[in-house]
Amino acid sequence: MEKPLLQVKNIWKAYDELQVLKGVSFDVEEGEVKVIFGPSGSGKSTLLRCINMLTPPDKGTVILQGTNLMDSDTNLNMIRSKIGMVFQHFNLFLHLKAIDNVSLGPRRVLGLSKDEATERALDALIQVKMEKWADHYPAQLSGGQQQRVGIARALVMNPVLILFDEPTSALDPELIGEVLQVMLDIAKSGTTMVVVTHEMGFARAVATEMIFIDEGVIVEKGTPRHFAISPETERAKQFLHRLEVLYGHHEELLEPEDKEEGNS
Amino acid sequence: MIQVLPRWLEDLLTVLSYSDELIAGLSTTLSLYFTALIMGFFLGLGFAIGRQYGGIITSRISTAYIELIRGTPLLVQLFLFYFFPYSLSATLELLGLLPLPLDWSIQIIGPGGQVITILNHRILTCYLMLGLNSTAYQAEYLRGAIASVSAEQLLAAQSLGLSRAGGIRSIVLPQSLRRVIPSWSNEAAYLPKYTVVAYFIGVEDLFAAAHFIVARTFLTLTTYLLVALIYLVLVTVISRILDYVHDRTKIPGL
Repeated sequence: MEKPLLQVKNIWKAYDELQVLKGVSFDVEEGEVKVIFGPSGSGKSTLLRCINMLTPPDKGTVILQGTNLMDSDTNLNMIRSKIGMVFQHFNLFLHLKAIDNVSLGPRRVLGLSKDEATERALDALIQVKMEKWADHYPAQLSGGQQQRVGIARALVMNPVLILFDEPTSALDPELIGEVLQVMLDIAKSGTTMVVVTHEMGFARAVATEMIFIDEGVIVEKGTPRHFAISPETERAKQFLHRLEVLYGHHEELLEPEDKEEGNS
Repeated sequence: MIQVLPRWLEDLLTVLSYSDELIAGLSTTLSLYFTALIMGFFLGLGFAIGRQYGGIITSRISTAYIELIRGTPLLVQLFLFYFFPYSLSATLELLGLLPLPLDWSIQIIGPGGQVITILNHRILTCYLMLGLNSTAYQAEYLRGAIASVSAEQLLAAQSLGLSRAGGIRSIVLPQSLRRVIPSWSNEAAYLPKYTVVAYFIGVEDLFAAAHFIVARTFLTLTTYLLVALIYLVLVTVISRILDYVHDRTKIPGL
């Protein structure tokens, strides 16, 4: 059997006295969409940042395509160019137009010429339906539009894996749908994704596995169906119940045909 | 019949008859100013980056330098910097070694045949000390602007595969250099007036020219008003230019 694309083994991370991650392990196969959810402060964002070493773990191993990222002689910049990341607060480069935000990676990291990079950036913007806004600066865009540019910025690098860190939780409710739609499209095109989100509609539509994290440990794993019908642990049950009370049915925001495909 | 001019105009014309001294003084002041400003900018940027992003040693050294310079009078710094080589030279001589050559100068012949000193120990001391002093102030303005660019943008750049230095260069600096202009214009406006300290070690700047003219004509009020006006015009022009640059480099939508 082929080795998983990404192996996360026994990750520990503390901020001073606060132990955030206490031995988290999971694998991601190629083409998988892994959804991580759990209460705030449970270590989800830290876990994502440990995967691309923006926050290096204290202990444990992260192996991407056979390369151990914890090795001191691993070229992390090269590895990071293969792992896309989408941030909760978008983190677009404020002094650059949408198109230049997206073409920066291809130019500075992949070494493409300005024209080639711009062409690729435009393709990525078309994928997220933002080509009309290419010449706008981030501050001239809505949150949903900024996040779609953020997704294009990750996509343009042709990453083997994209990490999403609560991509919709900073958005106004009416803007969540457009971002989820783009993420669904990407998921269906076969991109490997690790997504931290509370959007259960999205998870049900495309997740191959869901991971429930609380207090720095994986409490429960399972398919969306498993969590919908028969979550085993009390903590997962409680959390899912609270989500439902708070968010209701976000899947209504998704277009109907996507739901059907996702459920089939 | 003799045309009688108003008294103030007559005084002004007398002062202006020393235009050679005024122009020479102004050009010294301007070259001190621009050299110190540019030197202070690049060194200041280094210290600001060192203090913000450097390891514990780099950051401590930067902080110590900035506090030392900002905490002591410019004139004292200038005197120490000026006299130290002389004391060192005297000590060397006592030890039976060769003294330092401190009475060198670089001169050119001006268009009117007059000898113009471009550089000597005094002038060099002024260039360096004004630059080193301005470095500390500019470093703090720059650090403030650098810190105002969210660290998350740098993380985003790193997540694309840029190195930390690459991210600082292409993401943090372009934004902080835009943001620093309004506060940095403070330093750009202060510095022309700080250059008068050069007079105290015998450099013939605009202020020294004013002293010279007053000694010759006793027209104290007219001379100092004229010199004040020259500084005012200079600083106003600089402020306008910086306002213009700030306006032109604004990030749309912010």
